[in-house]
Parts: sequence; C-alpha cells; structure tokens
Amino acid sequence: MRHTDLCDTVLHMARPEDIPQPTRDTVLNLPCPAFDSTPFVSGPPLSERRVAILTSAALIKRGDQPFPFGSGEVRFIPAAIKPNDLLLSHVSINFDRAGWQRDINTVFPIDRLRDLAATGEIGGVADTHYTVMGSTDPAAMEEAVDQIAGQLKQERIDSVLLTPV
Amino acid sequence: MCALAHKLEERGFSTVVIASVRVQAEKTRPPRALWTSAMLGRPVGEPNDPPFQLRTIRAALALLLRTDGPVILEDFPDDPPGWPDNPNWVAPTTTQSDDFNNELTALLPRWQAAQTRFGRTSVGLGFQAPSAWPAFADAVLAGSLPTIPQLPTTALAVRFMCDDIKALYGEAAQATGPAPSANQVDTWFWRQTAAGALLRNLRQTAMASENNALKTVGGRFFVPTPWIV
Repeated sequence: MRHTDLCDTVLHMARPEDIPQPTRDTVLNLPCPAFDSTPFVSGPPLSERRVAILTSAALIKRGDQPFPFGSGEVRFIPAAIKPNDLLLSHVSINFDRAGWQRDINTVFPIDRLRDLAATGEIGGVADTHYTVMGSTDPAAMEEAVDQIAGQLKQERIDSVLLTPV
Repeated sequence: MCALAHKLEERGFSTVVIASVRVQAEKTRPPRALWTSAMLGRPVGEPNDPPFQLRTIRAALALLLRTDGPVILEDFPDDPPGWPDNPNWVAPTTTQSDDFNNELTALLPRWQAAQTRFGRTSVGLGFQAPSAWPAFADAVLAGSLPTIPQLPTTALAVRFMCDDIKALYGEAAQATGPAPSANQVDTWFWRQTAAGALLRNLRQTAMASENNALKTVGGRFFVPTPWIV
C-alpha cells in the first residue's frame, strides 16, 4: 500500500486505538522504508542552533502551481513569506484542514520558532524552509534532499524540524 | 518524513520528526522522533494555541540534545485540546436546498469575516474566484470538460475547485464565535450544505466520465470516504 492510500483511510485520527477496524490493521501493517543503519548527527546547544522546518504539507506560494500528485520535488519557503501567500496543496483529502485554516503554525510552526529564537532558546530561525508532498515515495526525493542540504549548508543551518500532516 | 530525516542526517544535519502515526516511526526508525496524538493535519497542536504549540516544539527540539540515540522515539504526554465538539459553536445558516449558488452567495460575508479574523484565506488553489464556481460546476455536471488557463486538465481544475469550496466553507464556519471541532466542521459541510451535496454529485459525474483523469481524480479526491453516501 502506498503512503497516499494510508492517508485516504486514516482520517483525522492518529492514535491507533481511535482508528476503526479494518483500517487499524492496515495502518499497523503499513510497509515503510527500511534502513540498514540510522545516522545520528549531534550538535551544539539549542541556543546556538539555527533551525529550519521541512513539512510534507505540499505548501505552495499563492499563484504557483499546486504540487503534482506523486511529485518528488521540494519547494523553498522564504521565512518572510506572508501567511496569506501560503496555500496547502497536499493531495490527501482525509486530514483536517480546519486547524490550518485558522493558524498556519499547526503545520508550519514558523511563529513558534521565532518565539523560541526571541527568548534565546534556539540560536535562530532559518531564512529558508522546505516543503514536499508527503504522499510521495521517499526514493523519488533524493534530488530534493540534495537541494535542501545545499541550501541548509549555504545558510549554515544545522538542525531541521520535520512536520507531517 | 521519517525517511527524509534519515536522508538529511546522512548529509550531516541534525533532525527531529514530529510523528503523527507512531507505527510509521517505529518501522522507519528516524534518528529522533516525537510522537503526538494530535490529529492528522494538526501535527503541532491546536490552532491559535501558542502555549501548547510551544510545548510540542520544545519537546521535539529537546530530543536534539539527547546522546542516547539512535533511535530516539518519545511520546508527547499531552493530548491536544480541541478534539471534542464545542456545544457553543453555532453553524452558519444554510439553505437546506440544492441551490449552491445562493448558499455560496449568502456565506460570502462570513468568509470575509473569517479573513478579517484570521488575517488570511486558504482559498486559492484553483485559480478561480468563488463567483465562477457555480457555473464551472454546472458545466461539469452537464458533461462538459471545462478548463481554465492556469491548470492543464479539467480533472485538476475540478479537484482544486473542490478544495477551494471546502476551504471557503471551513473558514466561514469558523468566522465568528467559539471554534468548532474538526468533526463539527466536517459534519456541517457534508450533511447540511448544498456544497457538500454538490461535491458528491461532482464525484458521481466524474466517476461516470469517459475522461480517465477526471474519473480517477473524482473518485479519490473530491469526497472523503465517510461522506460519500
């Protein structure tokens, strides 16, 4: 089963016991990418780290083309983008949008990172953030990850917060 | 997201994932993940609740300081508020008829109020103004394959129009007063509005179409499974 099929069946519930059968079994048996090892990059204290967001919400700038279904691309989101210029183009129709409609931070917590930077809890917020289509096979995203890594390196960002939808 | 965390970490960056479906994190084993019980679509928590969102973010970022990985998978201890229905929410008045045009027109002031309240709108994927939706939908229901310049196919034009209709109604439902639950917004839209009925009709028309793209897209992306009937 592809990831998008999962998104089509789980609906809003993320706690397994809240998911009705037979969907629960489908979720629990979902094939996921396997990795032989797990890298683990350490870093300085949070107060010295600059943090970027990577969200699978398929966000777009108003007026741009929505993400195509199955796209492995990444799009860059300037930190200074106005909330009204952000649209959510994820293909799945089975997750909640009402929260996003009221507050972009439910998905893209840029204001919360700014809060933490303002109090010195983190060293700063990246100038650029990143978004992909979450229903895509990760194997199709190698080039996108290279693009993200290149921009992170250019901006001297060392930490990434990944948010799903 | 968990797989992308692997790939970014391989390239030298520290990552932490907020995981909505715990079993996926258990299987993919990203370097660091914080599972939350937040509903899908609200991974950071409830809208306009900065204290709760900050607790979630702090808990996630704190995993970056741990040295006992990989793999670190922690559970966020708090359920987000806002799941239960809100008895004080008042649904917008709808026509209780199949007149989408009139219903939409009547809701526009609430949509404008929502834009004032939230400072933005999430409507806009489909490149059409709301005033164009009824005629476009009528054309599709009549068997035509209308297009718009900005999107390559009728299927995509209808899909994103449907997304925009749901967004406008969702925003109108939250324009004033206490916030409804996600379930209340869905139930109202799919059971009490002409728009919900329209989207079901568009789905039926699309699935009967000889246009394969429209058939596929309509079957999967216009109406969520629980609201098809």
